[in-house]
Amino acid sequence: MDTVKNRKNGKIKPKTTKLESEEKYVEKLIENGKLERQEGDGESTSDTTENKQDCKEEKINNLRSFEYSTAGKICRISCEVDLISICLFVCALLTRMYKLQEPKNIVFDELHYGKYVSLYMRNTFFFDSHPPLGKQLIAAIAYYSGFDGKYKFDRIGSTYSDSVPLFALRFVPAFCGSLIIPVVYHLMLEIGLSQWTSLLASLLLLLDNAVLTQSRFILMESMLLLFALFGLLALLKFRKYYENPYGLFWWLWLTLASISFTCALCVKYTGFYSCCLGLAILARDYWIALSSPKLSDRTLFIRFLAQAFVGVVVPFLVYLGIFYVHLNLLYKAGPHDSIMTSAFQASLEGGLASITKGQPLVVAHGSQITLRHTHGRTCWLHSHAHVYPIRYADKRGSSHQQQVTCYSFKDVNNWWIVKRPNKNDLVVEQPVDAIKHGDVVQLVHGLTSRALNSHDVAAPMSPQCQEVSCYIDYNVSMPAQNLWKVEILNKEQNGDTWHTIQSLVRLIHVDSNQALKYSGRQLPDWGFHQHEVVADRIINQDDTVWNVEEHRYTKSEDQKDRERDMITAEMIPTAATTLSFWDKFFELQYKMLFSGTESVQNHMYSSEPLEWPLMSRGIAYWVASNSNAQIHLLGNLVIWYSATLSLLIYCSFLVFYLLRRHRLCFDLDEKNWEKFRFLGEVFLAGYLFHYLPYFFVERTLFLHHYLPAFCFKVLLMTGLIEHLYFVLRDILKLRFIAYMFIILLLLWVGLVFNVFRRFTVLSYGTTQLTTTDIVALRWKDTWDFIVHKN
Amino acid sequence: MAKSVPVKQNRNWLLAFGSICLLTIVTRFYKVTEPPHVCWDETHFGKMGSWYINRTFFFDVHPPLGKMLIGLSGYLTGYDGSFPFDKPGDKYENTSYIGMRVFCTALGASIVPMSFLTVDEMTQSMTASVLSSLFILFDVGLITLTQYILLDPLLLCFLMGSVLGAIKVSSKRNKEFSVKWWSWLAFTGLMLACCISVKFVGLFIVLLVGLITIGDLWSILGDLSRPVSVTMKHLIARTICLILWPIFLYVAFFYIHLTVLNRSGNGDGFYSSAFQSQLIGNSLHNASMPRLVAYGAVVTIKNHRTGGGYLHSHYHLYPEGIGARQQQITTYTHKDDNNKWIIKKYNTNKIKGVSILRSGDLIRLEHVPTKRNLHSHKEQAPIMKKHFQITGYGENGTGDANDVWRVSVVGVPDGTEVATVSSKLRLIHYLQSCALTSTGKQLPKWAYEQQEVSCNPNLRDANAVWNVEENFFEKLPNVSFKVYAPSFIERFFESHAVMFQGNAGLKPKEGEVTSRPWQWPINYRGQFFSGSAYRIYLLGNPVIWWGNLIFLALFVLVFSINAIKQQRGYIKSFSDSHKQELVACAWLFLAWMLHYIPFWAMGRVLYFHHYFPALLFNSMLSGILLDYLLEEVPKFFSPKLAATVYHTMLVLILSCIVYSFHLFSPLAYGMNGPSANEANSTMYGLKWLDSWEF
Repeated sequence: MDTVKNRKNGKIKPKTTKLESEEKYVEKLIENGKLERQEGDGESTSDTTENKQDCKEEKINNLRSFEYSTAGKICRISCEVDLISICLFVCALLTRMYKLQEPKNIVFDELHYGKYVSLYMRNTFFFDSHPPLGKQLIAAIAYYSGFDGKYKFDRIGSTYSDSVPLFALRFVPAFCGSLIIPVVYHLMLEIGLSQWTSLLASLLLLLDNAVLTQSRFILMESMLLLFALFGLLALLKFRKYYENPYGLFWWLWLTLASISFTCALCVKYTGFYSCCLGLAILARDYWIALSSPKLSDRTLFIRFLAQAFVGVVVPFLVYLGIFYVHLNLLYKAGPHDSIMTSAFQASLEGGLASITKGQPLVVAHGSQITLRHTHGRTCWLHSHAHVYPIRYADKRGSSHQQQVTCYSFKDVNNWWIVKRPNKNDLVVEQPVDAIKHGDVVQLVHGLTSRALNSHDVAAPMSPQCQEVSCYIDYNVSMPAQNLWKVEILNKEQNGDTWHTIQSLVRLIHVDSNQALKYSGRQLPDWGFHQHEVVADRIINQDDTVWNVEEHRYTKSEDQKDRERDMITAEMIPTAATTLSFWDKFFELQYKMLFSGTESVQNHMYSSEPLEWPLMSRGIAYWVASNSNAQIHLLGNLVIWYSATLSLLIYCSFLVFYLLRRHRLCFDLDEKNWEKFRFLGEVFLAGYLFHYLPYFFVERTLFLHHYLPAFCFKVLLMTGLIEHLYFVLRDILKLRFIAYMFIILLLLWVGLVFNVFRRFTVLSYGTTQLTTTDIVALRWKDTWDFIVHKN
Repeated sequence: MAKSVPVKQNRNWLLAFGSICLLTIVTRFYKVTEPPHVCWDETHFGKMGSWYINRTFFFDVHPPLGKMLIGLSGYLTGYDGSFPFDKPGDKYENTSYIGMRVFCTALGASIVPMSFLTVDEMTQSMTASVLSSLFILFDVGLITLTQYILLDPLLLCFLMGSVLGAIKVSSKRNKEFSVKWWSWLAFTGLMLACCISVKFVGLFIVLLVGLITIGDLWSILGDLSRPVSVTMKHLIARTICLILWPIFLYVAFFYIHLTVLNRSGNGDGFYSSAFQSQLIGNSLHNASMPRLVAYGAVVTIKNHRTGGGYLHSHYHLYPEGIGARQQQITTYTHKDDNNKWIIKKYNTNKIKGVSILRSGDLIRLEHVPTKRNLHSHKEQAPIMKKHFQITGYGENGTGDANDVWRVSVVGVPDGTEVATVSSKLRLIHYLQSCALTSTGKQLPKWAYEQQEVSCNPNLRDANAVWNVEENFFEKLPNVSFKVYAPSFIERFFESHAVMFQGNAGLKPKEGEVTSRPWQWPINYRGQFFSGSAYRIYLLGNPVIWWGNLIFLALFVLVFSINAIKQQRGYIKSFSDSHKQELVACAWLFLAWMLHYIPFWAMGRVLYFHHYFPALLFNSMLSGILLDYLLEEVPKFFSPKLAATVYHTMLVLILSCIVYSFHLFSPLAYGMNGPSANEANSTMYGLKWLDSWEF
């Protein structure tokens, strides 16, 4: 038995710590009677000071002594316990890793995540609205297995080439997905449920097809789940030491919990809900501790500080670290550069830098510039030799002057010349006549030599704003109003001189005090579908911010020479800009927060939160090109429905108990009531935390967003099952019915297993199915499987 | 102390209440008739009031009570419903609009005394009541909002009434099951029903009253000296008065609404053919059309789902990237010529004599103005990606085989003749076997936000049912026939389906700058009610609004500190009055959140005036908390100083409020002259935020 135990020591942490701490406890008991409180485990069996503790304390300790007494029993059969969790882990590994390399095609979102991993391999910058940890973990394994990142992820279903180490890529999610099972087992033990219940809970997650499918491909959810559940486990372990703070294990579990929750957050931002759950549990315990008269205000305050310290500093460091790695790995320019600001792009190797290198730094009278719309859509201020139509489709008139637009492509017509109103010679002389914050300038369009102008005429698509044009003098008593005041927004950082790339500027029209703005609307045919530019009263908004991207000084006074320069000249490169980590970090955060809302188009397999509990729709992940073998994300129907039902049952029990207790009828003793309530406080709250927010999200949602909530639901269900059994056996004393309950339960597990087996074909996708097979699996009208027509 | 002289206290109370009422009347009715032109949304609600007087049917996203009351008040004060209310700024001239204005203002004014009574009932403190009602009384924004022909004064009044009723019912002062108690309970129910029949945001107050009721029941249940049956009795009483009675009233309001509006108007197209047949003047009322549909007939085709529109097309193509670049087909709820289709045989353009369309026939549908055929093909529909796209295809009626549709009448064997209005049709695409469906999804701007039409492979979809509504065919005689008349309940539910759809459609247009919830509490930007020479600008009194925010934060602070102290056992029990005040604040805080937070999650267009219900709660909270602080803060000083501190604070705050009211009152009572940017303006220096536009 000893050898077995030793072998397990490394792998199964939670158990071994219990054993270790017990050993230490014995040692320390010998050394010093007082020190025992620091370790805490098992104290209540022998402690004499216990008797002095007051009522409330006793309640908590009663619960704990209960645990320890069972723990004592388990101790003797500890090998078996370890075996259970190891068996579970092995089973999980077998199911998750089975034929992991099949199908050898891109499955669903592997398209994105696979692509990001390959970009990591090539150190190429990419932009994703999710945080990077999950992709980093996969990339790390991929790196060690020699993935070169050259494979092109083009569309779902295309075949992986042999150079892609597919097993390595899919290994991390599958491994994490397998770890979930033993973690759940220990989580349930930790919350005070019996071994059998814990076994049932992990078995149910093992036998759920959705969790299985989601763990087998390059997807993020299994990592998210693992970090969230392990965080919860660590937090519950931490609660054990709540009465005896500042010991090694107190710090250890608290730190582990906050690291783990932060990792969940760094895999997907939805991990934030798990963090909230963790905080809520901490707050609940602290609130209870507040009522204890034994603790002084000072002790409590220090405890608050200590917990807050760990709960703030650790996540902060982890989060920063992950982004530090992210930004340092990705130093080359890539496909998504244009989302970022010019300054950011210029800091990437071979990105904008190659064009903008060697540009003069200071914008001066005579500068030739392109003006980029800084935030949101990438486009440059543009004009061309076409005029606004005299009348628009809605019968409004226009000024009929030259169009000014925002154009999303680089073009010679994006060049503008900065000019002081009173100077005519455009050649830049040394020392340069730098433009400063507050200066009034004219902007002359390079190729047409007309000045940027605005006047009290309604803009073509946004009639509430002023039209912006390049001024043509028609002699119709419409004078030129072509003076613009330069406002530099970030003059605190970069000084009040107008700098290339770094300075964010607003151009304020002097006559009307309105700002040059990209309106976001597209012009119709006559404007070549380019974007509208207007002058807007509301100055303080993102769309009025511009920056100079390309820049050089005018060298020749001759108009023809200038034009030739503009059309032909390449830039003269010297050095790239450097941005500090913090600048990059904050910009990336900003862009991540405010992007991703653009795609409103609904996906064929998207679903609504209300459809999730009853699993109305799955997601077709992949279908073979030559057969009906397919992968479809669907849960185990029996588990999903029972879990949904158990939610209702738990809630009605809770309401019933609450009402009865309010009338001072105590159906459960304090210990069991406490246990029942805590189940809800962790799992029901967890479910709601991970489910309700989706009702307020406007993004396209999928069934897999429900998985974290689903896990909590299953855990609640198993907790409820144990409670029902307890009520039948111990409260109602219906032994026979309790046995019947167990038998029914076993039958139900059999059914679960059966359903799991039937639907595995859709999780593995290795079986070629006939049309009748698929129709036979279509248990609900709303499920849309794919059938090839012959 | 006060109890020993109840008479004096009573007199004081009356004095305070009386002066609040008097001040209310003065502030609200001052210049109520000005400006004598249409202000802001009066153009909508005045118009709708006129429609009630003219009994013309219309469609609006709000329930009917508010507009009905406006119409009624106009009718009673001699307005004949002839003023067009075309656009803001139109002069009223000789129209008697004053009755409606005064009616709205009177209801709006009742908010102040009701808030006094509410706070009085909650805290039994006269100072708190006076302060609370003064916060509400001197808010310029509320005055502006309640002085015009709008729904908001009515909504706010009913909302305040509901709260007052709920508080009176749960108060210990009223003996339960007494006549007074029952009448307050019934009053609460009435107010709730009114509230939700004015605007659907009334739902939040229903929620609040529900929570208050649950709280009541919970504490009654917790009283162990009384049997559970008492709780049951309470439960039943409240179910009757707060659930059944309001539902009855709500339905009754709709009954009146549907009975009064019996003439055809501009809202007809939103409703089903059967619904329209009940409206005098509608082409379906005692319809005179060919009874049967024949080949060659020009028809309009209406979708059968509630709120479904007419099959529609126009000279615009689907944009690039969205299926094939062919002509758009949509459903459209307004009646126009682009809804007309001609029925042709699938294989020939010639029609000999009269041949009646039968179920099971193959046909083509040609759009009359553009001469293109209804067509479908294997491209994704714009929004429902699983459906196929529907387009208009062909030149002058010549298309291809994908233009062929099979007509199938629901519930009858093939070969049955198709009748106008009463036959329910499915149009099945012959080659692809999919059904013409209105998905109910709104298309983007390129289709003018009309609704999507697609071809659905699921032939049993309930939204794939259509009927022929208008039928023009010269060769068949027009006969009169009565369309099956829907019952009131059916019409009731249909109106709701249409309203909800309308509400969901109120999405902000692309690029439109709309008011955001974070701007409201800080009074970021107002709303012009009347421009030009006589300017009215809806903007809260900044002193009160910002003060409100401070008190909100203070409340959270005070409440948490007290909660922690109590949890630590430092406070064994609160003194009664203080506990009552904090509990009242907590309820008001909850009410504030209920009326504010949900707007963050709303996707529809939001306006500044949506914040005013929340503001009422916030103002009451400020009043109570101020009273609490006025009692607490002087305790830190010596007893001699305490009285001085108390009075100084009180006078300081009151004078601040009154002075700020004096400064900002021109916003409500009208400004003229130059805007506040210029030095010679009367409002010069008051433009504290750049975003204010006066």
